[in-house]
Amino acid sequence: METTEAVEEEQEIKDPKAAEEILASFPQKKRHLIPILDKIQQSYRYLPPNIMELVMQYLRISRAQLYGVISFYPQFRIVEPGKYILKLCYGTACFVKGAPIIADKIKEVYHIGAGETDAKKLFTLQLASCLGNCGAAPMAIIGDDTHGSIDPEVTQSLLGSYEDKE
Amino acid sequence: MSTVERKDINFKINGKEVTAKEGTVILDVAKRNDIPITNLCSHRNLKPFAACRTCMVEVNVDGKKELVYSCTHPPEDGMEVYTNTDETNRYNSACLEMLLVEHPLDCPICDKSGVCPLQDNTDALGIFDGRFEINRRNEPSIKTNPIIEFYLNRCIMCGMCVRACDEIQGVQALDFHKRGMSVTIGTANEEPLDCEFCGQCITVCPTGALMDMTSEARGLAALFAKTESTCDYCSWGCSVRLEAKKGKVVRIEPIDDEKVGINNGNLCAKGRLGHGIIHNDERIQSPMMNVGGNFKEVSWEEAIEAIAERMQTTVNRNGAGTVAGIGGEKLTNEESYLFQKLFRAGLGSNQITTLQNLRAPYINSFMLKCFENGIHSKPIMEMEEADVALVFNSDLPSEYPVGGNAIRKAAINFGADIIIANPRNVIFNSETKNDIRLQFSAGSDLVVANRLTRILIDSNIVDVDKLKKAVPNYSQMTKSLSKYTAKFAEKATGINDDVFTQAAESFGKKADRFVLIGNDILENGQGQEILDALLNLAIVVHHGGEGSVSIYPPREHANSQGAIDMGVAPQFLPGYKGTDDQTALTSLANAWGVESLSFEGENLAEALLENCRNGSLKFLYIAGENPVNSYYKGSLVREALKTVSFLVVQDLYMTETAEMADIVLPVSSFAEKDGTFTNITRHVLPVNHAVIPEGNSKPDYDVFCEIAEALGKPFSNTDLADVQNEIEQVIPLYKGLMPGDKYGQWPADSFAENPEFALASEFKETSDKKDFPFKLISNNHMFHSGSHSQRSSALKEIGPECRAGIHPEDAKKLKLQSGDTIQVQSENHKFNVPVEVSFVSTQGTVYIPKNWTEIPVNMLRNGEEGLVSVKISKAG
Repeated sequence: METTEAVEEEQEIKDPKAAEEILASFPQKKRHLIPILDKIQQSYRYLPPNIMELVMQYLRISRAQLYGVISFYPQFRIVEPGKYILKLCYGTACFVKGAPIIADKIKEVYHIGAGETDAKKLFTLQLASCLGNCGAAPMAIIGDDTHGSIDPEVTQSLLGSYEDKE
Repeated sequence: MSTVERKDINFKINGKEVTAKEGTVILDVAKRNDIPITNLCSHRNLKPFAACRTCMVEVNVDGKKELVYSCTHPPEDGMEVYTNTDETNRYNSACLEMLLVEHPLDCPICDKSGVCPLQDNTDALGIFDGRFEINRRNEPSIKTNPIIEFYLNRCIMCGMCVRACDEIQGVQALDFHKRGMSVTIGTANEEPLDCEFCGQCITVCPTGALMDMTSEARGLAALFAKTESTCDYCSWGCSVRLEAKKGKVVRIEPIDDEKVGINNGNLCAKGRLGHGIIHNDERIQSPMMNVGGNFKEVSWEEAIEAIAERMQTTVNRNGAGTVAGIGGEKLTNEESYLFQKLFRAGLGSNQITTLQNLRAPYINSFMLKCFENGIHSKPIMEMEEADVALVFNSDLPSEYPVGGNAIRKAAINFGADIIIANPRNVIFNSETKNDIRLQFSAGSDLVVANRLTRILIDSNIVDVDKLKKAVPNYSQMTKSLSKYTAKFAEKATGINDDVFTQAAESFGKKADRFVLIGNDILENGQGQEILDALLNLAIVVHHGGEGSVSIYPPREHANSQGAIDMGVAPQFLPGYKGTDDQTALTSLANAWGVESLSFEGENLAEALLENCRNGSLKFLYIAGENPVNSYYKGSLVREALKTVSFLVVQDLYMTETAEMADIVLPVSSFAEKDGTFTNITRHVLPVNHAVIPEGNSKPDYDVFCEIAEALGKPFSNTDLADVQNEIEQVIPLYKGLMPGDKYGQWPADSFAENPEFALASEFKETSDKKDFPFKLISNNHMFHSGSHSQRSSALKEIGPECRAGIHPEDAKKLKLQSGDTIQVQSENHKFNVPVEVSFVSTQGTVYIPKNWTEIPVNMLRNGEEGLVSVKISKAG
């Protein structure tokens, strides 16, 4: 029985209702796979395994094909992200103005590297290509908020303030 | 040939005039004309892909020069193509050089070494000192499944495996993952591979990235001793290459050459991985005699002497007609021929049959009726160019997997329609635009076939006037179809008449049609009627439609067809001559050097087992069959073998049947003998030995010769070539086809044409039995055939246990989950078996493969005709 529990914990079963509605709005053609995945991710914030089973059945594609497409695009996530997605700009300007040392700080405090989520499932770190706000370098986007001219300390207190909100 | 017309294109390659059909690419035309062009990602069975960029050629059209990739570029009339120019070589070399930057070059331990396209192309382009810095990959090998090792350091991302898995096999277990520098091929999220294990990905891989782990040898594949032969796992007859090292078969590969074999380089899991039955500790080591219930090893001389003596005494005491034989359907043609000759010429007995002929002699009549109606059926290689394929009650990936490969190719290249009629929701993925499923209620096969015939006529899809003129009893036949109305058919089969109409329209249009019939049709008690109905369906399009129709009788084993051709049947002398045909008997007697032949006594072989049980038959010789496990009358077989005074069994293994014998003889596997098999579609195929017989075993061929000699009636010919020659003389159908190296199909035009419909029979619905609500469906498992495959460790690993398939709704009602054990009980027998819940099974049916001796499915039936009713309960 232990194994079953472990599996359940690993793959949380998500309510398929929203996904069913999304699927029903598209024809059953393989070429709609990417828009479907996009909508599902907007709704569930990632691509949950049990929902992917529905997509496979609906479009009649195999697991290998589905995850082949998903793994091609870094913006598709197959693991549930933290509440806030922390996009740290790693564009040239931000990079030279200290983005790596900010990343080090985040690693030190929250023990997460690129693509990882902290233990409290609050933050998922993403290292982004240029986010187009070089004037405010180094910058980051936390959830929907943009923060410019940050440094390791500012970042830490910023993240702390998000933590306090919870 | 498909009925789709493709025009010829004439152009030049390096100044040589060549012709190609529209729809081909330059590379394929060059290959067929033996003009080499470097390439790594192109295969004639796959769609163009252009991944490796090493096949550039120069083309000139109207004086305009262009550099193009020959694997995707179609030829045009008047085009001039130049290969191997300085310019193309420069481009091709540059791409190959970059592939070599990462490739490990660990050739001494690579399975492809010496037969490696990457090596060949490197050599062809003369890349001996690369200009780039070497940056070898060094990731560990992935061995998460028991069969296929992924050593991706060698992978060059040509995508051949991904495409073969998708296009040829329809499984899509592999795909590209990630992108750019980190792109890799494999399964979703690196999960263990779970697929049909056909190994097509290994065949097409141009490097050693994918390897067959069942092979005991690593590296230097070019130095293995290679023997071309024919697989003996099913009736399809695929050409295989047996590769041996130090006297042991280490692996089996398909022959990837369209000119060799009927399988065009395709092979299935059984054919590739089943070599574990050849060198196996469980093989019988020595002849054995049953002395008071214990088997005692004896010498070959003693065993042969004892058999001959017992045969002779039985003939003397009780008459020749009391000695009977069951000829195995895996014996070669030559062995089958000698087997019947031993009985007919040596003993004067006509009591011989095969298990298929014992159960369903009508299959052979069906084949002859097709010929009499002028339906000769095309060589099976042409199925790759079919316009319509009708798969009737056959789970293709399990029963005729390579047939499935050909149909998928037809769908890609010629847009073939695929009609699958099956009571189960069988999985068959292809690229056809017209995938018609006739999923009928179990047992209603007859209605499906008759309804299709009726629609073809009623809706004038075929030319009814032409049909009327061609077939004399047209009106009686249409009358007999009157019951098969839309309403009746829908009620009996559960299929809406629109779907029937769609199928009939597809089948009736101008087309080259191929009909494959599964052995499952024997299961519902109306096998003969179903075959008659399918015959009518074929006659209707043959005489009333345009194009062609090819229809083949269902066959289960490698030589089920050939054994009957050779006359291992009480109703046929060699070559389908009747046993009362005096002219045939006289010429046979002359050929065999006996005074006269006459078989006027009672035909006891028709009900061979009953006649063993009631004592009419006193001596039974079973050559390479295990009826205790495989015959549908489980307890009759047991009783018959127990009663018969003397039983000889020859086999590779101590089977349940051999356990009951008085004398057991160890014989050779297909890899240790020579001869020919005749496949389901009448192609005569060569069987060649790759290794010498294991231990003390002998080919069946030698055993029959020795018994004939011990009887004092030695065969006039004992040399293989002489026997083959004799067969060609005695059976004119085989003229020019021996020793089977031309893959020729024996011709059907010598059978007198006599077009006649079989009248449609009444549909007998299997009555529902109270307390037994489920219908049983059983056949060969995807990874097993008969019971021998259970001895192959690789097949056992991918198909470890017997699982009974049931539909999720039924599972819900019975509170069952996959993996639970259920008790399956019929009126005759019961056993426990783990369950697999899946949508492949349909409601009200339970599917149990028949290949596990500990799950004796034939005991559930136990001789009952018609579908077997069973009940299911959760085992405590």
